[in-house]
Amino acid sequence: MRVFWTAVALVAALAVQTALSLIGPGWARILDPFLLVVVYCGLKGGETHGMLAGAAAGWMQDVHFGGRVLGLAGLTKVLVGFGVGLAGTRFQLTEPGARLLVVVMAVLLDALVLRQLAGAFDVTTGSLTVGGLAVRAGVNAAIGMPLFALLERRRWPGSRA
Amino acid sequence: MARGLATNKSRLLLAGLVLGHLVAISKQVDVGDGATLFERWLFAVLSPLQGLISGGVDGVGGTWSNYVSLRGVREENERLRDRLAVTELLLQQRTHRAREAERLRELLQLRAVLPLEVLVAEVIARDGVPWFRTVTIDKGSQQGVALNAPVISPNGVVGRVIRLGPDAAVVQLLLDQESGVGVRIERSRVTGVVAGQVDSAGQLTGDLQMKYVPMLADVVEGDLVITSGLDRIHPAGLVVGRVRQVTLGTGLFKEILVAPSARFDKLEEVLVVRTPLPDVSATETVQ
Repeated sequence: MRVFWTAVALVAALAVQTALSLIGPGWARILDPFLLVVVYCGLKGGETHGMLAGAAAGWMQDVHFGGRVLGLAGLTKVLVGFGVGLAGTRFQLTEPGARLLVVVMAVLLDALVLRQLAGAFDVTTGSLTVGGLAVRAGVNAAIGMPLFALLERRRWPGSRA
Repeated sequence: MARGLATNKSRLLLAGLVLGHLVAISKQVDVGDGATLFERWLFAVLSPLQGLISGGVDGVGGTWSNYVSLRGVREENERLRDRLAVTELLLQQRTHRAREAERLRELLQLRAVLPLEVLVAEVIARDGVPWFRTVTIDKGSQQGVALNAPVISPNGVVGRVIRLGPDAAVVQLLLDQESGVGVRIERSRVTGVVAGQVDSAGQLTGDLQMKYVPMLADVVEGDLVITSGLDRIHPAGLVVGRVRQVTLGTGLFKEILVAPSARFDKLEEVLVVRTPLPDVSATETVQ
């Protein structure tokens, strides 16, 4: 059941990203719905769920919005999912403040890892300024926090308390 | 104990996933621009999903527009827009050919003008991440689109196909830093390569950078930049943009900024070139 809902969330993320890219490309470059799905899966399901959701989300993003080399976003989001899942099992991350910090850190980690990976594989990419990163982190947190709170009302089968 | 086992399992999984990704990415890097079977398969499986979503978004928007405006007028408008796009492309080519006719006569190498067979495709998704500049179009291998096929608009060159599915394809825009198109200055015949330009912070600016132009080359602001055909991907003579700024670089080459002619933020329909590229020697004489 958890797999089913994760798949639904990823399809919804693809729908949001595609619609945003058509309606307002600027917004599509700021909001990362795939990252929000990965963060939520990591927080609720631990590192394994976070990693697998990250792999699926990253590959969907790679195939549809990525550049010449596939797998960069895939590997990035695996690491983000693992990191968030690991943090979720070590620390109490149920408070809004803690979750806000997790989303912000996840956005920063996502940008940093992808940039480094791209560099390692000789793929040139655009990058974000500190201001751009801050806006990206803020927007994702502003949308992710209420979304997570909304999803909290529904208990995931097998999720931790 | 159980927690320890679970942790070990997840770390093994992480190691497996990281290794798998590294292998997958390395394989593509080794292959270069050619699409792997895996890539084609993955895109074939996932692209219809995006097509459906795009169809849904378009459907909702279209229903509302049709409700508000007269259906007949809208359809006629779309038909005329398609025809106008093709006509503008032909006009662009003919203007260019006229300018080059004198040189061709002098060289006594007048050859048949290259007819470009093009396919009209609709943009169904734009770039969704800040790292790359791509669009997805609604035509794929089943409609005759090929990998690396040049994509143009009535205003100028748009990019090339980098990922192909049966009914969709991903186009790498000229604005992407990884793009690279062989170009020349129409007036002075100086050649170079253009790609997306980034500022000092690494952000894509929306302009193009023309590289590998020697310090002594004759390039001035306002020069028209056209494809050279030397990259063996884009046919020669298509408009890329105009030189916006020329400065002396720090090395052996000039630093040249080119304002692209294609309106990337307003792309709705594009033309995919289906004609195979002839020999470079032939394309150079066609302009």
